[in-house]
Amino acid sequence: MLLGKQAIDDDANQTGQMLAALWDRPQATFASKVEVDGGVARVTREVDAGLETIEVDLPAVITSDLRLNEPRFIKLPDIMKAKAKPIETIELASLGVEPGDHLKTTHYAAPAKRSKGVMVKDVAELVAALKSKGLIR
Amino acid sequence: MSRILIVAEHLDGALNTATARSVSCAKAIGGDIHVLVLAAEASAVAAEAAAIDGVGKVLTVTRPENAHALAAVLAPQIAAVAGSGYTHLLLPSTTFGKDVAPRVAALLGVAQVSDIMSVEGAQTFKRPIYAGNAIVTVEAPAGALIVGTVRTASYPAAAGGGSAPVEALSPDVALPSHTRFVGLAQGKTDRPDLQGAARVVSGGRALGSAEQFQLIYGLADKIGAAVGASRAAVDAGYAPNDLQVGQTGKIIAPELYIAIGISGAIQHLTGIKDAGTIVAINKDADAPIFEIADYGLVGDLFKLIPEFEQALG
Ligand SMILES: Cc1cc2nc3c(=O)[nH]c(=O)nc-3n(C[C@H](O)[C@H](O)[C@H](O)COP(=O)(O)OP(=O)(O)OC[C@H]3O[C@@H](n4cnc5c(N)ncnc54)[C@H](O)[C@@H]3O)c2cc1C
Repeated sequence: MLLGKQAIDDDANQTGQMLAALWDRPQATFASKVEVDGGVARVTREVDAGLETIEVDLPAVITSDLRLNEPRFIKLPDIMKAKAKPIETIELASLGVEPGDHLKTTHYAAPAKRSKGVMVKDVAELVAALKSKGLIR
Repeated sequence: MSRILIVAEHLDGALNTATARSVSCAKAIGGDIHVLVLAAEASAVAAEAAAIDGVGKVLTVTRPENAHALAAVLAPQIAAVAGSGYTHLLLPSTTFGKDVAPRVAALLGVAQVSDIMSVEGAQTFKRPIYAGNAIVTVEAPAGALIVGTVRTASYPAAAGGGSAPVEALSPDVALPSHTRFVGLAQGKTDRPDLQGAARVVSGGRALGSAEQFQLIYGLADKIGAAVGASRAAVDAGYAPNDLQVGQTGKIIAPELYIAIGISGAIQHLTGIKDAGTIVAINKDADAPIFEIADYGLVGDLFKLIPEFEQALG
């Protein structure tokens, strides 16, 4: 199962991991390289410390990071062909899943704004300002 | 009263400061705070965790399988401990916490609150969405176990000086062998860690090459700063992935952030909004980065970085 690592709207970064747990299968999140060899995938993951490589037995859930690949440009004929591809709709009820309303969103607000600062004319003025604030020595 | 369990993040026998930041979030919830260390050899990390102010107890689970932080291996152990009467389970919103926490939440059958930036009540939290362009308040049902990740840039690291007792646990759970650690390629440096550094110098696409990106390292070393990069600089191979700052990279809160040759896309800005002072150097006077910079300097970085270094003496 391939998924993205996080949605660009809610940024939650959970779906792949939860799916893997519910399915009781391995997960390889934040993938930047995937090599499949027989029943095993060797996945390079972008982690805070660098690049981690793990091996997972298939089937597994893999979530992609930004540098996994370059999405190919979709040519017009392919867009036309896509229209003819079958799309199957699965009713939630048919899956025997109980949808739950676990988290309620109660407020939306704008983030605190950073105030606009000042422009300095040269490096000397910048360094003087940073020194006076004790940010550099 | 809340009973809060925090999963310690550690590497090579040392505790990550993200854990002490999570403790600050737990203090905002209020209650008993316990830290869970899962490791092959837990004592050094447990001792560090026991010293964090506010921690009431450190729990250790020592197993050879815990030598590396594999979510599939850790999650059932964490779920077993968290399910034994805790009201909250917190992990830092680092790649470690993001990988592990949702897997635990699913095992426990609860939703996850990602990137907690503010605690409004024991079941109510604020978190950013749309790359930080909106803040939502989310509420979990009364009595539901909260699994959350803590937006580490929103919380300072809790101080040291504590001396919590350490207790060894051995939860009886079968661990999968379907996930195996192969290796970790780390960009080992003597420089400060990007996520905890007081000062950060970041370079963007304008650096033009990995060789020229060395200019950023040079300036950073001069002021004892960590090095960061925009996604464009990482994608182009000028800097390694672990230096990426922003929505899909690291969210940081240094005292001083210097952005050089970075335009200021929202995805980048969301990673630095909590910085104390932001400095931008860019040749385009209309670059969006100047909208949030405390100090802006317009000019060619290839001329200004050497000048900067010289001015520092
Ligand atoms: C889903 C998604 C997630 C993303 N996540 C991230 C993320 O986490 N982090 C991130 O950074 N980006 C992220 N991005 C990418 C982001 O949108 C921008 O493309 C990226 O930040 C641009 O990087 P940059 O500022 O280095 O490059 P550019 O936007 O190309 O800016 C280069 C700047 O350098 C200036 N410049 C050029 N030459 C010089 C010179 N000689 N001297 C001084 N200044 C000069 C230019 O005026 C320009 O402002 C994401 C995008 C998407 C769609």
